[in-house]
Amino acid sequence: MIDAALTALSGLAEPSMLLALATGVLAGLVLGLIPGLGGTGAMAVLLPFVFLLDTGQAIALVIGAAAVIHTSDTISTVLLGIPGSASSSVLLLDGHAMAKQGQASRALSVAFISSAIGGLVGAIGLTLSVAVAGPLVLLFGSPELFMMTVLGISLASLLSRGNVAKGLVAACFGLLLGSIGVAPTSAEYRYTFGSLFLAEGLDIVAVALGVFGLAEILALVARRTSVAQKMALGSGWGQGVRDVMTHWTHVLRGSLVGIWAGILPGVGATAGSWLAYGQAVATSKDKRRFGKGDPRGVAAPEGASNSISAGDLIPTLLFGIPGSAAAALLLGALLVFGVEPGPSLLTNDLDVVYTIVWSFAIAAVLGAALCFLLASPLARLSFVRFPVLAAGLIVLMFTSAFQAAQEFGVLQIMLLLGVVGWLMKVCDYPRAPFLIGFVLSIPLERYYFLTTSLYAPAEWMTRPAVLVMAALLAAPLAVRLVKKVVAARRTPVSGTDAGAGVPTGGTGDAGTGDEREGTERTGGVSTLTTGDGSPAGPDGTGGADGPDGATPGPAQAEPSPFTGTRWPLGTAVFFAVVFAFGLLTSTGFSESGRLMPQLAGGAGLALALLVVITEWRRLRGAAPAGDAWKGEVRAIASAFVWLCAYLLLTWVLGTVLAALLFVPVFLHVVARMRPVGIAIYTVAVVGFILTIKFAADMAVPLGWFTPGFLL
Amino acid sequence: MSLSRRSLLGALAVAVPSFALSGCATPAPDRAADIGMPGDLLPERVRMVIPYAEGGGTDVWARFLAPRLTDAMEVPCRILPDNLPGGESIIGSNRYARENVSDGSSFLITSGTTHYQYMLGRPEVEFDFAAMRPLLVNAGGGVIYGSAEAGVRGIDDLFSGNTRLRYGGISATGLDLTALLAFDVLKLDVTTVFGLEGRGPARLAVERGELNIDYQTSSAYKTQIVPLAEQGRATPLMSFGQLESDGSVSTDPALSDLPTVREVYRDAYGEDPSGPAWDAYRAFLGAGVTYQKGMWITAETPDSVVQPFFDATRRLQQDEAFQEESAKVLGGYPIYAGDEVDEVRSVLTLSPEVRAYVLDLLATRHRTVIRGA
Repeated sequence: MIDAALTALSGLAEPSMLLALATGVLAGLVLGLIPGLGGTGAMAVLLPFVFLLDTGQAIALVIGAAAVIHTSDTISTVLLGIPGSASSSVLLLDGHAMAKQGQASRALSVAFISSAIGGLVGAIGLTLSVAVAGPLVLLFGSPELFMMTVLGISLASLLSRGNVAKGLVAACFGLLLGSIGVAPTSAEYRYTFGSLFLAEGLDIVAVALGVFGLAEILALVARRTSVAQKMALGSGWGQGVRDVMTHWTHVLRGSLVGIWAGILPGVGATAGSWLAYGQAVATSKDKRRFGKGDPRGVAAPEGASNSISAGDLIPTLLFGIPGSAAAALLLGALLVFGVEPGPSLLTNDLDVVYTIVWSFAIAAVLGAALCFLLASPLARLSFVRFPVLAAGLIVLMFTSAFQAAQEFGVLQIMLLLGVVGWLMKVCDYPRAPFLIGFVLSIPLERYYFLTTSLYAPAEWMTRPAVLVMAALLAAPLAVRLVKKVVAARRTPVSGTDAGAGVPTGGTGDAGTGDEREGTERTGGVSTLTTGDGSPAGPDGTGGADGPDGATPGPAQAEPSPFTGTRWPLGTAVFFAVVFAFGLLTSTGFSESGRLMPQLAGGAGLALALLVVITEWRRLRGAAPAGDAWKGEVRAIASAFVWLCAYLLLTWVLGTVLAALLFVPVFLHVVARMRPVGIAIYTVAVVGFILTIKFAADMAVPLGWFTPGFLL
Repeated sequence: MSLSRRSLLGALAVAVPSFALSGCATPAPDRAADIGMPGDLLPERVRMVIPYAEGGGTDVWARFLAPRLTDAMEVPCRILPDNLPGGESIIGSNRYARENVSDGSSFLITSGTTHYQYMLGRPEVEFDFAAMRPLLVNAGGGVIYGSAEAGVRGIDDLFSGNTRLRYGGISATGLDLTALLAFDVLKLDVTTVFGLEGRGPARLAVERGELNIDYQTSSAYKTQIVPLAEQGRATPLMSFGQLESDGSVSTDPALSDLPTVREVYRDAYGEDPSGPAWDAYRAFLGAGVTYQKGMWITAETPDSVVQPFFDATRRLQQDEAFQEESAKVLGGYPIYAGDEVDEVRSVLTLSPEVRAYVLDLLATRHRTVIRGA
């Protein structure tokens, strides 16, 4: 075994191998930098080369890219608040919050070190587990995967602390949106309204870029300021190194969660990163700083991001089941060279396995080192006025979102999701639960149906791993129940509803305890959001000091100018209408296709109506709002019109000409740049689009009147 | 200026968002030069539309063959792959059909799943194999096997009724249909569940014992199932067989040690299979196995444009280096030039009776109703 490992290492020392590895790393880094392009982009660029190189070089090339895509995608997430990839959106919570406080360097430093460590842990884990992982993967059947998705979705409530009703509305919205497309069990199209491109469902890239990225662009273009509000660049790098040393257990635990999430087919990188973040929050005693720029919230998911890619290689190599775009690319490359994945790989092609492991470890470290060099100048982006950045970002984001389905309709949907994301942002709906609901919607449905049709209830509910996960789900609820019992005993007069819930909930099984706790918590929220948390909510007087009394809730860094206006109520009504519509449409589906949309729609509608009532009460009791929101709406509307104008130009002329027109006009009118800067900027953007179109053969949206030489 | 700046902006603010809300068709700008004339030459850059995802079986097949075909051509040509996956390959195939280019500047990759959507008459299908001609065709093969640990130790366990047979598929309208029709021919009582992510996960579920009957392609069978069978964990049962041009089913040359569905039927029931179930099985066997993978081009494309493909295919058929190199990717099945397999279009044409039979089987046995078909 050691022989094979050393042979593989000396093989990698050959210049041609190192060149292939370095090329892969560079391609992965550059494509990871562009929001949304990462995985599919690397695929499009590298695939043709895979068929030209020999086995070792092709592996080095693909692994080089796979190991670093999730290193550089951090940069735009942290600096600009625009997710570099769907899985890096988890860094919007703490990483981006740090950048806003001027600590971009510190956040990136934590991210890159954690990412390199995650890569190394992943490579070691890959070596150790490749021989034993087979039986482990087999232990995880449909019931375990089903419980895993339930566990993932339960993160939604954890990630929306203090705002559970709205968090769950967001999660249900994600579940409903995720059910668009062909139903996994019944071969019927749901919510596609005759558009075939929706058959595969909405692409995660378009959804994440819309709800987070475009929402950010809408909100920030108008403000004409930079991302960072304080100036504190420079010394952060050393601080980041110290952060990692302090929180090394979080890096390690994140990496381990990541490997596991990667090994299990069907979990995926996005859910895996959120699971790593969730475990960091759940296991930390002091949770107050999470979401406001806590380095632990960067270290854990970044540790996971690279180890997921490593764990992902195990089902790819052992079972021929790729869990990501990069793994699929590797699998294709191996097949072309006659290397068949399977247990025989360990006996026949051990050198291939070690080439993969070494390439991964070297690439992860090399990628992080290059990112350090790259990020120092890039960190300054967070001090550039946002409209200047937006011109290029708009072009790049719409181009990225186009890659998967290559349909114009996706761009329109992404724009609408941008508006929804902005509404959620200003009306205090946490967007993390939305994304989790979205990515886990189909897996939840798939594994539910597989579990219930392959097992009797008594059979799957008693499997050990299922019981462990059920206990994990129930533990925090039980703890809270116990606390409530104690609190109720101390003050026997107040809290009648909590007291009534305890005796049955405490002795009942996990299922009813869950439900009970759910309703109690949402009840708790309604008092939280009405004002200061005193039981005097209903009479309206307690709510009068709502904005001031918001301290027990999530501390808002910037008070929304929409507090006290009709907008929060309108948004709640909007969600209620969406859920009602979803429910109404689902009546036409088959019995199995109907279940999940109806669960999500029904729960969503009930919760949304609850929020409607709360918001209405709050509005009635609130002090009249100022006029600040009117300016905000005007600014958003103008940003929206600019985005529409870009889409319209694309539809008529195609991306290249649209960028050629849009970028300079936008830079002149909105960003007020000088002509020389505008010229250089425009040439750079158009040049980049032309490069990815003609040199890398990527799809770029065409227009009805795109001239022939640009087709 | 009758319009003030303000009202102009206002109009813009109404018109542009309403554009954002409307569903617009993806622009497909006209390519005026895309109509082929007799005597035209094959363009130097040819787009290969792959309606399947990158890295999948069909994608690897197409990307493996493309450069080898162009190398064997006497005219300079570069094939540029373009993946348009989704909707059981309907999305990409529709896109190809809509473009309707006949100068040879693009062609379509198809697989059994593509053929099945067309044969089932799904309302979403806009492409038509009658309006296309084959450039190259390659057979596939498949093996039905069982899990020894979950009660399938031999052919007899299928018929004894003592073992509850459980089959898991991706979608009842995809390649799984071949297996479903084989079960129907053999009159097996199989519980089916759909929604698996691929054949790989199905194999895993068999290894876990969640499912106990499954099928895999010939190459996956050789690398994944044979080792399991050697450990006594999997039971190879039968091959799909291959459809002959006279409509009979013969032994799969790549799987000559396994009986075919026909032979298993004869052993169990003492006569050759016949009737609508057998007709349906053979129809889908041809479209999904014997003529599984193909390269197709618009029917109006002139002979002068497609001839290089036929010539290159024949050269590859003779090339021993290619035979060796391609053994694993092509699963050991030969490639045929489009002009050698004229019967393929009639194979893809389903009689109304057989279609009605299959749609009814899907609805009554597998809870899958195809709307509008």
